[in-house]
Amino acid sequence: MSRPRTVKIVRDLWAARGRVTVMVLAIAVALTGVAALLVARAVITREAAAAYASTNPAAATLDVDDGVDPALLAAVRTRPGIADATTRQTVTTRVLVDGQWRRMLLFVVDPADALTIAKFRVESGSWPPTDDGLLIERAADTILRAGTGDALMVAGPDGSTTSIRVDGTVYDPALAPAAQERSGYGYLTPTALARLGFTPVADQLKITVTDRSAVDSTARDLAAWLTANGHVVHEIQAPPFQHPHQRQTNAVTALFLAFAAAALVLAAVLVAATLGGMLAAQTRQIGAMKTVGATTGQLLRMYLTATAATAVVATLLAVGPGLLAGYGLVDLVGTLLNIDIADRSLPWWVPVGIVASGVGIPVLVALVPILRAARITVRAALDDHGTGGRVGLRRTDRWLARLRGNRTTLLAVRNLTRRRGRLALTVLLLAAGGALFTAGLNSATAWRAWVDQGMDRRAYDAELQLTEPVLAEPVVAAARAVPGVTSVEAVLSVAATPADVAGRVEVQRTYPDGGHGSFTLTGIRPDTAMVRFDVRAGRWLRAGDRTAVVLNQDAASRLGNPAIGSEVGIAVDGRAGRWRVVGTVAEVGGPATAYTIPDAMTPIIAADQVNALRYRFDGTDPRAVTDRVETAVAGTGATVVATMPTTELRNAVDGHVVIFVYVLVVLAALMATVGLLGLASAMSITVIERTREYGIMQAIGATPHTIRRLVLTEGAITGIIGCLVAIAAGIPLSTMIGDLLGNLSFGLPVPLRIAPGGLGAWLLLVITGAIGATLTAAQRAARLTIRETLTYQ
Amino acid sequence: MNIASNNEAVLAVRSATKVYATAGGDFPALREVDLRVAPGEFVTIVGRSGSGKTTLLNLLAGIDRPTSGEVWVGGTGVHALPERRLAAWRGRTVGLVFQFFQLLPTLTVAENVMLPMDFCDTVPARQRRSTAMHLLDQVGIAEQAEKLPAALSGGQQQRAAIARALANDPPVILADEPTGNLDSTTAAAVLDLFTGLARAGKAVVMVTHERDLSGYADRQVTLADGRIDTDLAVPA
Ligand SMILES: Nc1ncnc2c1ncn2[C@@H]1O[C@H](COP(=O)(O)OP(=O)(O)OP(=O)(O)O)[C@@H](O)[C@H]1O
Ligand SMILES: [Mg+2]
Repeated sequence: MSRPRTVKIVRDLWAARGRVTVMVLAIAVALTGVAALLVARAVITREAAAAYASTNPAAATLDVDDGVDPALLAAVRTRPGIADATTRQTVTTRVLVDGQWRRMLLFVVDPADALTIAKFRVESGSWPPTDDGLLIERAADTILRAGTGDALMVAGPDGSTTSIRVDGTVYDPALAPAAQERSGYGYLTPTALARLGFTPVADQLKITVTDRSAVDSTARDLAAWLTANGHVVHEIQAPPFQHPHQRQTNAVTALFLAFAAAALVLAAVLVAATLGGMLAAQTRQIGAMKTVGATTGQLLRMYLTATAATAVVATLLAVGPGLLAGYGLVDLVGTLLNIDIADRSLPWWVPVGIVASGVGIPVLVALVPILRAARITVRAALDDHGTGGRVGLRRTDRWLARLRGNRTTLLAVRNLTRRRGRLALTVLLLAAGGALFTAGLNSATAWRAWVDQGMDRRAYDAELQLTEPVLAEPVVAAARAVPGVTSVEAVLSVAATPADVAGRVEVQRTYPDGGHGSFTLTGIRPDTAMVRFDVRAGRWLRAGDRTAVVLNQDAASRLGNPAIGSEVGIAVDGRAGRWRVVGTVAEVGGPATAYTIPDAMTPIIAADQVNALRYRFDGTDPRAVTDRVETAVAGTGATVVATMPTTELRNAVDGHVVIFVYVLVVLAALMATVGLLGLASAMSITVIERTREYGIMQAIGATPHTIRRLVLTEGAITGIIGCLVAIAAGIPLSTMIGDLLGNLSFGLPVPLRIAPGGLGAWLLLVITGAIGATLTAAQRAARLTIRETLTYQ
Repeated sequence: MNIASNNEAVLAVRSATKVYATAGGDFPALREVDLRVAPGEFVTIVGRSGSGKTTLLNLLAGIDRPTSGEVWVGGTGVHALPERRLAAWRGRTVGLVFQFFQLLPTLTVAENVMLPMDFCDTVPARQRRSTAMHLLDQVGIAEQAEKLPAALSGGQQQRAAIARALANDPPVILADEPTGNLDSTTAAAVLDLFTGLARAGKAVVMVTHERDLSGYADRQVTLADGRIDTDLAVPA
């Protein structure tokens, strides 16, 4: 037999099941988001780190021009600070896929290599492959459009292609996914490389170190030792010890988690407000209980248990969808990053965090109204007679009393201001939900628009890359002669390294994929018609700027954000040059780049040499044009690496960010839901509280229709206020999120962009939501008979 | 039974004054009131509206504290009892009956009666229902036990409220206009109940507007402007 007080709580919850459902839903919806992101963040960050570490990536890679023979390698292993070492070779070439050239990275590994550093896991086939075969990275299959048993047409140094069979696939999570880099990754032996026409030379010395905090100095010491022994160390690469996308993944998931947590706090506030309303209606009952001996502690426990039970139900509801969404996100991001989720288990703090936030946060926030209700004295509780309260005493009430106009609207406005705390809470809920909703949509739009805009600044339709610099004149002429090509410009881009002004070459941060962390020095006509640069500070290049550079945001950041007018050091081939920074530009996509005029490149590379063509074309078949240009350029004796149509570059940039935009939109919808639930709950409390008053109104002649209109008007006004506040608050929030996401993905804040669709959607949502939410309450109010409303005191 | 002597009193008010701070300055609702009630006495408090009847009753129930003076109930100085101990003390010591019955709407009549036993843990859980049924039988509404209060008439609700006030067998019963909402026949029945309780040894104090209380109360205290005007034995 249960105790009367338990019975009371259970029946009260049942009697208020509509509002209880709203509370449960609000917590469940928000907690689903929190749970999903907790799961996703915990698993992805752990697994990405584990996957990267499982390859035992080299701490540093030294390019030794003349190669490293076994004897030298043995000697290197005994050098101080070196834990292990091996030799490799990486060849950048191209591969013909469906008649189109693509960049192809060949990782050359000696069959004798113990594969202790820069490991990869063979997924199908076996290592080493045959002398006329290679293994490809598993995520490169979409780029190479080939699987085991297929043949790849790989270009040799002289431009001729050789067929090589795909013997199987490997899994190499140390590389940024092939699809995002628009590049094929192959693994083969020196013998197989020689068959393609290249000279095998183990010119990469990969080392791991005993003290990971001293990677740079250990690598420099080793380079000095090698130099002293007559070798030429061309450059040192030491990327950060983490997956190329780890930092972004960490930061973005943290941001999203914060978003979801904000939704949960909103839901908790909603619970507190709803409970506050329910408890206010129970004031006299609390007084009655206290007169028959209930202590504050007993009442506190009763109501807290009820709240906890509600929260537990919500938590139970959220766990399933939360885990499902979380693991869904894990798999999506896993595929995106090309990492295997080897361990799907959750660290202990995830379930603890889910339960703690699902039960703890609502209970904690609800403690405020519950404490207030439980502490009330019998005297105060039983004193609370009548329908008036303190209305009529405040200045705004007197001011409102003087207002003239539609009677119902006026009454609704006055009613609204009666419970200012509640109005404030409802508006806060709606506004916070709406602000996050519009900010989410704004950010998604801004992100997209920014990428679009950045891409629009590239007026060229395709960029063709050559294996090495050639004389500009013939290739430009050849390309220009192709029907459909409307204009052509040549550029010269060389791999460079930031150096200090004294000329000391910095250790490069380039990953083995050659893209992430790379830095280029590009010679470009100052009057280029191919790119409209977005100059952020200083100015763009001018003819005669022989020592000037303009840096894009990544280059500026790599060089320590130098002031306009200051000098920086940029090394090419180990030789540092001094340059004066005259401006900075914003660029979407592409590596860290320092731009200068072609003439300024002559100390580095002979005059009039170029290694890339940017061109515009018209016509309906872009593939036909790019193919013809490749053929025409090849006809001059130059070797084409690949053609990157601008649309494809766009896809590559999108591929990095699109999933996060979607998650943001989903989170925004979550917020909107919680905000609308808040309105629904507030309106139903209002109606219940005024039950008597509606009865009195009906007794003196108000029709159910008037009552309904009164409640609806009140809801609509609340909705509109909430909407306006939401839009106002959403703007700074959008800027904040834009800054964060932009800095993470492009190194630049994404400028604010208002999504008119988002605002419209929110307005519509709130208006229909407000009507929907209030309609039930309004119907209820209108249906109450006078007897019902007046009998209970 | 006439005015009780000091040592017999279960209720004793000594020189109690209650001053309310209002916008128009301090307002003394009770001034230097002295009152003693012995077990088995049925005292009614009468007086014009605003004379301080409810204020006095609230002091006795520990719902309010005197501005000065003392309130002793069954040997406990209620005026000095800390707030956190008041509720439990009240649940065991005084049974309160109001004009608006203050039954909990979501509990059945029987459950309402069991509630004080639950909060004060006075009756073993297993005996609570039978105790409640016994009390409901005593006030004559045993057959209504399983109904919700809203389904009862005003008189029935008030009987249920009296049964609830008796749940923990308190030595003192305090009632504020318990018949204010009832017709005269029903009111008479309720007054009979109070007389019975007094006969059974409880101290009963009731604020009322009823004029003719001969045959019910032992004593009638009249308040005027916060002072005891008359304190007379009611002729039987
Ligand atoms: N909280 C309060 N603040 C200020 N004045 C109060 C307060 N409570 C009561 N009073 C005043 O104290 C006086 C006595 O009030 P009380 O409620 O005791 O009267 P009453 O005799 O019970 O009247 P009624 O027969 O109308 O119930 C009244 O004048 C009332 O206005
Ligand atoms: Mg009174």
